[in-house]
Amino acid sequence: MDPFATLGIDRRFDVDLPALEKRHRELSRALHPDRFADAGASERKATLAKAVEVNEAWRIVRDPIQRAEALFALAGVVVDEAHTPKPTPELLMEAMELREMLEEAKEKRDLAAIERLAGKVDASRRAAEDKLCAGFAEKERKHAKIEALVPVLGELRFHKRFLDEVSAIEDAIAEADVAAQS
Amino acid sequence: MVLLEIFDPKARPRPVGIDLGTTNSLVAFVKNERPVAIADCNGVTLLPSVVAYAESGVTVGDGAKTRASSYPRDTIVSVKRFMGRGADDPETRRMGPYEFVTPGAGEANVVKFKVGAGTRAERVVTPVEVSAEILRALVRLAEDELTHIGGAVITVPAYFDDAQRQATRDAGRLAGLEVLRLLNEPTAAALAYGLEKKKNGTFAVYDLGGGTFDVTVLVLEDGVFQVRSTGGDSALGGDDMDRAIAEDVFAQLGLETSARTPTLIRMVLDAARAMKHTLTEADHAETQLPAKHGDKTVRIERSRFDALIVPLLERTGLACRRALKDAGLTKEQIDGVILVGGATRVPAVRAYVAKTFGKEPLADIDPDQVVALGAAVQADLLAGEGPKDDVLLLDVLPLSLGIEVGGGVVDKILPRNTTIPAAARATYTTQEDKQTGFEIHVVQGEREMVADNRSLARFTLRGIPPMAAGLAKLEVTFRVNADGMLDVDALETTTGVHQKVMVKPSYGLDDETVEQMLMDALDHGEDDLLLRRLAENRVEAHRLITATGKAMATESALLIPGERESITSAMRALEEAARGEDPAKIHDRIEELDEASREFAGRRMNHAIARAIEGRRVDDVEASPSRPSLDAH
Repeated sequence: MDPFATLGIDRRFDVDLPALEKRHRELSRALHPDRFADAGASERKATLAKAVEVNEAWRIVRDPIQRAEALFALAGVVVDEAHTPKPTPELLMEAMELREMLEEAKEKRDLAAIERLAGKVDASRRAAEDKLCAGFAEKERKHAKIEALVPVLGELRFHKRFLDEVSAIEDAIAEADVAAQS
Repeated sequence: MVLLEIFDPKARPRPVGIDLGTTNSLVAFVKNERPVAIADCNGVTLLPSVVAYAESGVTVGDGAKTRASSYPRDTIVSVKRFMGRGADDPETRRMGPYEFVTPGAGEANVVKFKVGAGTRAERVVTPVEVSAEILRALVRLAEDELTHIGGAVITVPAYFDDAQRQATRDAGRLAGLEVLRLLNEPTAAALAYGLEKKKNGTFAVYDLGGGTFDVTVLVLEDGVFQVRSTGGDSALGGDDMDRAIAEDVFAQLGLETSARTPTLIRMVLDAARAMKHTLTEADHAETQLPAKHGDKTVRIERSRFDALIVPLLERTGLACRRALKDAGLTKEQIDGVILVGGATRVPAVRAYVAKTFGKEPLADIDPDQVVALGAAVQADLLAGEGPKDDVLLLDVLPLSLGIEVGGGVVDKILPRNTTIPAAARATYTTQEDKQTGFEIHVVQGEREMVADNRSLARFTLRGIPPMAAGLAKLEVTFRVNADGMLDVDALETTTGVHQKVMVKPSYGLDDETVEQMLMDALDHGEDDLLLRRLAENRVEAHRLITATGKAMATESALLIPGERESITSAMRALEEAARGEDPAKIHDRIEELDEASREFAGRRMNHAIARAIEGRRVDDVEASPSRPSLDAH
């Protein structure tokens, strides 16, 4: 499936999210099962399948990592977790350091430190996304150039895992606080 | 059921919206473009969700409620809390003074109440059956007003998992209702508000019902309600406030746990609820209750009550902050907060909501009625009565769906807050040589380990041709329909053999059991079922004819030569069959009309897609490759 074609948008990394949301709304208006409550079985089936496809495309394009994966796949570059090249030693070091600091902040329940770390990773995430925006903006997409972008996807995956963990830690701390009150 | 009236335009079947609540239930319909709740002959709209089983028969509502203190074991209160729960769930036994029956080996793992023990009326009922009694009472109420009901939208807490939704749908079926849609309660509330206000904006719905808490963040834009996130706690509600007061009361009475008989527990809980209601207006509440040495007056100050419920409120606050985070919004970006559920009348709740969101909540619509009113609006939209093109609900999956993989870990297939309908596939392989079976365990929840989530279903995929380990490829597809309900199937892709999978729900009744209950509930079994099928098929025929006629009239440009004639002739044949008495014949003609109009429908769909994607030509869309279609359910 080409999620960009399903949504009728250009194959780029820098998508206009509000416009995308509007497009998804319009397509849903045309395809949502609620519109076909009275229709015959085959029409319901066809529109449901299309509505599901539109929602899936939306889910993919809305998420930076899945969007990048889709762009790589459409360019003929395989990028599943198994095929992502190993990160450079510098990056690996940095990632390990960040993880250790997060672990430490978690032990101490130091919310300010956790927030600082999250801010730092979030800034790197934005920088990585900018690289992908530039890389996938060019009209002429040379295979080698696209392949050179693959490590950026690895970085994004790291950022996401890190930020997800931050979010889980914050939730756990908030939950523990509420539990302590009752 | 009055069959003759189906084609009488004056007595059109009217769609209704039903709020099947923990404490109270009610039914509403759209009258002159406005939703109204249907009242009984005393002008009362709220039907207490209480069902009493006695030798004289089954009573629902106020009549049942008055029996609750004298016959606590035979009077089922707050049955909604038991929906879709396992009999072995430790929460279950905590939830009321009932006599539970442990299901035998091989029986469905559902809660079973023994009612009327030791009398002629002794029987075992499931929460689905108890809920069906409430629905039947609502149907009777609605039929007094509307003569004929044409389908219902039943609301469920957004946080209900698949088993709980399934149980609700089964209850509807058992009550003889055509369930048009299960609608999330907060979404229903927003629909009730949105239509009245016609405003664009971002809203939070804070729904504290009798037994469940939900918070939903949604965006209303150009008539489309898009749910951004939803969260909550399916075991937290006004009942917990009653329980908190009751604990305080027991302490005041000086009664040990051992002295608490079922009758006394029920009496104290009722008193607690009454005091809670009093405290909405007054700064203290008093009641007389039997203590160790004669009656004693129990008194609760508003401030004491407020303090007692702080832990409950904090739990709701946690869910609110998480829902905002999931939606990627801050509280400042919320334009309005809608209050739903009787428990939001409590002043401390309103104050807490105002503090959490930094703004006074909206409460123009009766918080007890708002959900049913919204459900009525949705029922009206689904039945094609309302202004269809203006309003649409885009809801989300409330809890992540996943599969158990090695080490008791969950592999998430569809994350929570995915817009529905949705589908996702995951591929697995065999771990041993010549493995011919593959066990699949479906779970729902956010935690990493299977044990911490809700088990939905287990099934074994059999008949995989013997191969070396890792060669077989099992593609498991999850489909979630617009009701938020799951359907799973599996395909072994190397051989292309599609396995018909029987999903055995971990909690809940299988189809045959529901069918059997349905037969038992009808007076004349088979005959009644045949009549019902005839009525249902006629309704469907009527709907399809109307929809097809409308499509041909409005989009005649998309018909190819000869098509109008063939579709019209299939319509005539169906009309003819619908006048007859044979449900099977109507069914066949429906399929024929469906077939005759299939290509026309496909063209209309592509046309609609092209219109949605402005600037693109119809041919482009038609030429784009589409995946193999997923089955409708």
